[in-house]
Amino acid sequence: MALFNRFESAIDKGIGRRKLGYLVIAAIIIFFLWFPNDASQSNYAKTVFISGFFYAIMSSSWALLAGIAGQFSFGHMAFMGIGAYVAGLIARDGFTFAMLGVSITPESISAIGSIVIGTAVAGAVGLVIGWLLLRLHDAYLALFTIAFSELFRIMMLTEYDYTGGSNGLSLRPLLQIADVDMARQVEYYLMFALLIVCLLALYWVANSPIGLFLRAMREDEDAASALGVNVVRYKILIFVFTSMIVGFAGAIFYSDVGSERIIPEQLEILQMSLIIAYAVIGGMESLIGAAAGAFISRYMLEAVRQVVISLPFGLTLPDGSDAIVWDTGYWRFALFGVVMVFTLRYMRNGLLYPIITWFSGRDIAMKETVSKRESDDEHAARIEAEDE
Amino acid sequence: MSDINLELNKVSKRFGGLQAVDHVSFTVTEPQLIGMIGPNGAGKTTLTNLMSGTLKPSSGTIYLNGRRIDGHPPYDVTRAGLGRTFQITRALGRMTVMENMMVPGLAHNPRANRADLEARAHEILNLLTIDHLTNELSRALSGGQRKLLELGRLLMLDPSVIILDEPFAGVHPRLQATITDYINRVYEDGKAILFISHNMGAVFELSQRLIVLHHGALIADGEPGAVRNDPAVIDAYLGHDEDD
Repeated sequence: MALFNRFESAIDKGIGRRKLGYLVIAAIIIFFLWFPNDASQSNYAKTVFISGFFYAIMSSSWALLAGIAGQFSFGHMAFMGIGAYVAGLIARDGFTFAMLGVSITPESISAIGSIVIGTAVAGAVGLVIGWLLLRLHDAYLALFTIAFSELFRIMMLTEYDYTGGSNGLSLRPLLQIADVDMARQVEYYLMFALLIVCLLALYWVANSPIGLFLRAMREDEDAASALGVNVVRYKILIFVFTSMIVGFAGAIFYSDVGSERIIPEQLEILQMSLIIAYAVIGGMESLIGAAAGAFISRYMLEAVRQVVISLPFGLTLPDGSDAIVWDTGYWRFALFGVVMVFTLRYMRNGLLYPIITWFSGRDIAMKETVSKRESDDEHAARIEAEDE
Repeated sequence: MSDINLELNKVSKRFGGLQAVDHVSFTVTEPQLIGMIGPNGAGKTTLTNLMSGTLKPSSGTIYLNGRRIDGHPPYDVTRAGLGRTFQITRALGRMTVMENMMVPGLAHNPRANRADLEARAHEILNLLTIDHLTNELSRALSGGQRKLLELGRLLMLDPSVIILDEPFAGVHPRLQATITDYINRVYEDGKAILFISHNMGAVFELSQRLIVLHHGALIADGEPGAVRNDPAVIDAYLGHDEDD
C-alpha cells in the first residue's frame, strides 16, 4: 500500500493521472493494432479478438441505454438480429415497395447497401419500440423487451422458408479476399475500427447535453420533465440510436466478418444475459468499462476452455501424465457466474470502476467533496458563523 | 422584469367520484408573493400539478403569457415560463450538484455556452450557501440542502412564475431564513412566486396575497389581513358548530 501511495504521489506531481490514462489507452490501441501482425498468433486467436470487439460494441451500447439512460432493455440482441436478418434478406431476395415505386433487386444492391438498409430498419423498429415503452419502467420495461425479443427470435426460427430457421441465414460477404490469413487480418482491423467508431459515437452522446438529460431521466423522469427535459423525445431517441448501432454492428459482423451466418440461437435470452453480465462486470455506467468487461470476459471464457495444471516435484497421475487437464465445458460459465455474483455483491460499479476513477482523478474529487458534507445543523452553524 | 400573465379559468379536476379541484379561477399579472393555503386534502398540490402539466384538467383552461398550457407536458410548461418544486424533494441523486443545475440550464437553452451556464450556476449556489458542494452527489446532501438545490435549479430556467410546494417543510430554521431571502430576492427580480405552506407564520410574513382552497374550491383570494378574518376561511380551518 505504501508503495502504491508513493507511485500515486509521483504520478500526481509528474505527468498527472489523466495524461497517464491517455497514454495507457494509446498503448492499448497500439497493442491491438500490432496484435494481428505477430506471426505467432493463430487465426483462432484473431477470431477470438474479433468476437471480443463485437461483444464490446454490444455491451457498451447497452451500457448507454441501461446504465446511463436507465432503460433496462432485454431487446438489444433482437435489434442486432434485425440489422443482420434484414441485410441478409434484402441482399438475397431484394425488396419491392410498389406504393413508393421503390424496387431493389439482389443484383442492384451491394453488401454495404444491404447493411445500411438493415441498420435503418433496426432504427425504425427501435423508434416503434421506444414509443411503445414510453409509459413502462423497470420490471415492466424489462418484461416487455423480453417478450419482443422472444417474438422476433421465434419468427426467425419459424419462418424457415425465408430465414433458414435454426440453420440461420447467410448474409452477403462484405469482403471478398481469397487468402484466408489476409482475410482474417482485414476482418480483425475492420471490427476493431468499428469498435473505435462506435465508442466515439457513444461517448459523444454520453458527454453531450443529451447524455446529461438521459442521466436526469434515469434518476427521476418527473423531475427531469419539470426541469424542461423532453422525456418522450430523448427516450425514443436513445432507443433509435442504440438500435442502429447494434443493427449496424450485427449486419457487419454476420456479413462473414466475424461469423458466416446469423442463427436464432444468437437471439436467445441467454445471449442477452451475457451482454448484460459483461456490462455489469466491466461497469454498467461506464462505456469503456462495459466494452473492456465484454472483451476481457470473452477472452477469458475462451482461455479457460481447457485448464492445464502441471504437477510439481515430478509427480505423475496413475495414467502417467504429469498434468491435470480439465475441459471446463459449461463449467466456465459457472466460473463466470461466480465473478458476476462477486461483482454485484462487492463492486456494484464494476470491477474496472476503481481503475477508471483513479485515472480520471474523480476519486480525488470524491474524497474532497465527502469532507465537505454536513448536516442541516452543521450547515446552519456555518452560515451563522459567516454572518457574524 | 419578466412578462407575467397567468390565468386560470374554472379549472377542475375529478378523480372518479372525488372533485379534487373545483372550478378554480384566478389571475397573476405582476410580480407578487402569493401564499396558497388550505387544510389537508384541499387540493393545493393537485392544483399545482394541473398548472405545471403533471395532470390534465377535467375542464377549464390555463393560460401563461397568452399561451394555453393546460394539458401540455411539464417540460413544455416549464419552457413556457412556469417552474415548480415538489413537496418531497426530487434531487437527481446520482448526479452532482453542478449537473443538477446544468440540466435545466441546457434544457432551457441548449446552445448556451457551458462556461457561462456554470458561472451562473455558481452565482445561484453561492446565494443559496451551497456553492462548496458543487461536485458532491446530490444524494449525499442533507434534507435542507436538497431543498436549496431545488430552488437553485429553478433559477437556471429563468421562469416568470414559480410554484414552491412546501419550501419550509422539515428545514432547519436558519436554512428557512436562507429560503426566505431567496424568495424575496427572486420576487425583486420581477417574478411571481406562489408558495404552498402549512407554516402559517412564514405565509403571513411573506405573502402579499393569499389564496385559500377548501374541498378543491377557491374560497378566498385577497390581502392576508382580509383573508385572515374571512368567515369562510375561519370556518374551513376551525370548522363550525353543528348547532349554528
